Amino acid sequence: MTIRVQKPGLQTTIQSRPRTGLRHLGVPASGPADPLSMALANRLVGNASLESALETTLTGVTLAFSTESTIAIAGATARCSLNGEAVQQHATIAVVPGDVVAVGAAEHGVRSYVAFAGGLLADDVLGSPSTYLAAGFGGHEGRALQKGDELQLAGAAANPMSLETPANYRLPMLDAWTVRAGASCETSNLKEPQRLFEQKFNVASRSDRMGIMLKGERFAIESDRQMPSVPLFPGNIQCPHDGSLYVMSVDSGTTGGYPRVAKITRMDLHLLGQLRPGNSLTLIERNDDDAARELQEKHAYWQAWLPDVADVI
Amino acid sequence: VRSAGDDLLSISVDDPQTAQRLAANLRESGDWIEAVAGVDSVVVRFDIACVLRADAENRLRNAAANISELTEIQQVVVEIPVVYGGEAGPDFDFVCEKLGLSGAELIEMHCGEYTVDMLGFTPGFAYIGGLDDRLVIDRLEHPRQHVPAGSVGIAGGRTGLYALPGPGGWPLIGRTARKLFDAASDEPFVLVAGTTVVFTAIDDS
Repeated sequence: MTIRVQKPGLQTTIQSRPRTGLRHLGVPASGPADPLSMALANRLVGNASLESALETTLTGVTLAFSTESTIAIAGATARCSLNGEAVQQHATIAVVPGDVVAVGAAEHGVRSYVAFAGGLLADDVLGSPSTYLAAGFGGHEGRALQKGDELQLAGAAANPMSLETPANYRLPMLDAWTVRAGASCETSNLKEPQRLFEQKFNVASRSDRMGIMLKGERFAIESDRQMPSVPLFPGNIQCPHDGSLYVMSVDSGTTGGYPRVAKITRMDLHLLGQLRPGNSLTLIERNDDDAARELQEKHAYWQAWLPDVADVI
Repeated sequence: VRSAGDDLLSISVDDPQTAQRLAANLRESGDWIEAVAGVDSVVVRFDIACVLRADAENRLRNAAANISELTEIQQVVVEIPVVYGGEAGPDFDFVCEKLGLSGAELIEMHCGEYTVDMLGFTPGFAYIGGLDDRLVIDRLEHPRQHVPAGSVGIAGGRTGLYALPGPGGWPLIGRTARKLFDAASDEPFVLVAGTTVVFTAIDDS
């Protein structure tokens, strides 16, 4: 009683809760690059927000079911089908043995999430079933899915209710993004730090679950080339000596030696998972107090649909 | 105590050993989502949805003023046989030229006994301090996207050991075949902060 991968797509992985408490050993968070979209998919099948689910990258995934299941798709907008007939994202889908579900190429955004009632069986490594590709552990054999892989449901589908995400909770997938950010430890190394907030960056093709390279005017930076290595977290923006900007994401290294010139606020980290090469990005300045207050407001707004939203963003 | 971001605080300390002790104390306290040591700083992540920044800052200052000794780390010595130069160390010649050393001098200076300052970057990546003063060199201008597992880099007076393949910005002088991280093992990390390592030169045959 399995789910067979017919078309694996560019990089489809099993993701679940992030790993915490191991960054001092070099182990990053992993987990969904856009946890809010994964939570929305899991919500529609009655799961906790970070129950193990599939994360696709740009090209979607095609799955053949030999088991009954209840699934839902959220995240990057894409044409989705059940046995060739169009099905909606943001709605519960009942699947029976013999069904084929296809998530098409992402039209806006990067990553779609496919959630299954009860979740997927996955390798639990260092405290989480999330796949960490660089080290090859977690998820399905520590790697992206391949054609012919067989996935197993973790629990019997409890026949969840049929639901749709309310319109106001459907995250818009954009081409031009704005993300709140504030200062970090070496912001003052930039000759003109205010320029962080005065230009439109472009998302470079060198962007993945580890980080996102931003294209824009280079920054002049006073750089101690022998800066001792410092701890890094998702959302930290590093500026190497060449003046480019690199945003750390869920699989980023846990320490590094380039100046940290900004940090994306916690409340907007989930947007990093949908930034697509060629999209534009504008940073909006937030001080630390406003960032905390606005996170609490965001939690309050989302709580009505996602009761465990504080675990998600 | 400085802000490293909306939910991050950084505190400066004198040396890697103090950073390791403070970070270990902070992790044991259970007060923080994460507490991670750098070479001369510790960064904590706290839950800004329910903890006031001023309280977090005070708690961090107090912890730094009362660092307790670590329980004794079991002393292990790990030998790391390294193939220097050639394909294994693509920046070996560049480093020699930059530092005004012959290949034999570089190898002789780099071989020997050191202590692991910290792990970080990727699982099992080891930062090893105490290099000869003449081996201080900058990170690469443009980080590599693909560094093979086992690569031995130097930068800023330290050696970095890449336990896994991945991107990296340290000039590479050699490579070891010794496996430094194994997720399937009961003890996935061969090296931890405080481990003694001995670099020895071998040829690539």
